[in-house]
Amino acid sequence: MNDQMVIDKAKASLGEKALDITNPAPRRIFIKLKVEDLLTAVGWLKTEMGFTHLATISGVDLGQTFELLYHFANNYTCVNLRTEIPRDQPRLPSICSLIPGAILYERELQDMFGIIVENIPDGRTLLLPDGWPEGNYPLRKDWKYERPPEVIPGGKK
Amino acid sequence: MKFQIPIGPQHPALKEPISLRMTVEGEVIRDADIRLGYNHRGLEKLAEQKTWIQNIYLTERICGICSHSHTTCYVQGVEKLMELEPPKRGLYIRTLVAELERIHSHLLWLGVAGHEAGFDSFFMYTWRDREIVMDILEIITGNRVHYGINTIGGVRRDLDEQQVKRILDSLDILRQRSEYYKHLGTNEPSFVARLAGVGYLSREDAIALCAVGPTLRASGVAMDVRKDDPYAVYDEVPFEVCTADTCDVLGRTVVRIKELFQCYNIIEFLLKNLPAGPVAVRAPRRAKPNEVVSRYEAPRGENIHYIKSNGTDKPERLKVRAPTLGNYAATIQMLKNGFIADVPLIFAAIDPCICCAERAVSLVDARTGQEKIISLNSLKSLSLKLSAGNKRKREAEWPL
Repeated sequence: MNDQMVIDKAKASLGEKALDITNPAPRRIFIKLKVEDLLTAVGWLKTEMGFTHLATISGVDLGQTFELLYHFANNYTCVNLRTEIPRDQPRLPSICSLIPGAILYERELQDMFGIIVENIPDGRTLLLPDGWPEGNYPLRKDWKYERPPEVIPGGKK
Repeated sequence: MKFQIPIGPQHPALKEPISLRMTVEGEVIRDADIRLGYNHRGLEKLAEQKTWIQNIYLTERICGICSHSHTTCYVQGVEKLMELEPPKRGLYIRTLVAELERIHSHLLWLGVAGHEAGFDSFFMYTWRDREIVMDILEIITGNRVHYGINTIGGVRRDLDEQQVKRILDSLDILRQRSEYYKHLGTNEPSFVARLAGVGYLSREDAIALCAVGPTLRASGVAMDVRKDDPYAVYDEVPFEVCTADTCDVLGRTVVRIKELFQCYNIIEFLLKNLPAGPVAVRAPRRAKPNEVVSRYEAPRGENIHYIKSNGTDKPERLKVRAPTLGNYAATIQMLKNGFIADVPLIFAAIDPCICCAERAVSLVDARTGQEKIISLNSLKSLSLKLSAGNKRKREAEWPL
């Protein structure tokens, strides 16, 4: 299996669903999809192509939209599914039914970008501390950290 | 009758503080739940405010054991963004440090495994031999932990003839010692009996839960980024991917011992074929808008960085996924249907981390809500006592 074979099969199986297929470097394939077609594409990758290993999910804040990249790998190459969701409607289907190992990455996305992952088996907070204020999503570009004023207990007033 | 036991955030076997809440029935763990973030440093956000060069030293500080893994993964990604071609000698030295780091990490892990299994002389032997590797690393790079040898476009220090000779001499000692560890199991059946059957992770589960590194390879899946997606000079170096099919802690030990020998061969090959020439090229300060996915096989497993540039001297986004995060989902599976007494061993098996501080585990009675604190040492002696009379594991054989 080489890059060209994966690209040919992607064109044949996904057809119109694959908006854009690029191969910028050896063993790196980027497939752009609509968010509705994500589950179909993950299912196709897993069952037909044998990409069972999800390395991670990367989220990028593009301003108006969030870009998500699902990095899949097998013994021959690495396929990255790219999708975009609008910032004011950040909803994403969970892929845990297909790839159970995605759960921690999806929970991380919920914490860091405020993306709502639908049908996630376990949607609790993973990384942020208890009592973290609502609506603060650290990896959004407009989020700035302000260090709270330091108060030394029993110190000078 | 089900009980819930919280373990962590001050954790028995991991350096990183994580919290696990386990539901137990008697001595058997039925369910485990994980909570992270106690040591979250906001590193991905911080990286967006630092320059490309500053980020090398930031990524180096992600981990104290596999610091070189993160810098190499980052640096080779940035080199692609800047369209740089590092010189061959630089790549050879980079790979050499990577393999030395793998040896020191695996020796450290073997010691921890011996310690958790109650075989402390093994722990002292392996850690003594680990000093040989640490000394070599110090000679090459000037540092023992954060080597600071990577830079964008190559490495920062060159090797001389004397250093090469010194490393080759030390390799002989390490080979001899590892040969001894390999055969140790035959004379030490209690060690093998303690490891066999503990922390079972089937091949299907390992694949489904996206486990990485020795944990995945011990479940019989031959996946190694060095082979599948060769970076640096791994496409020129002959080596084998080591696997085991016992799917337990014994398998993970075997994989790591086998990998040690592969490391020695790789280092010998690298030193004997070291090309002449410069070690680094000059790097620009900015990178054109682009993106890159960089993968690396760290001692603990696959490490992946996603880097996006926007034309300035700072990254737009740096996503880091360290191997341990990839293994957490699998750890929960391993803990299920295991014994409380095996918890330290199973944890230690996914992740080679120093456990020098005395940590505590609190046992909560679900009926009364009363907590009982027991120290790691008493938990360990409990584990030794429990496994002593186990008949099934006594027939286990050392597979090497």
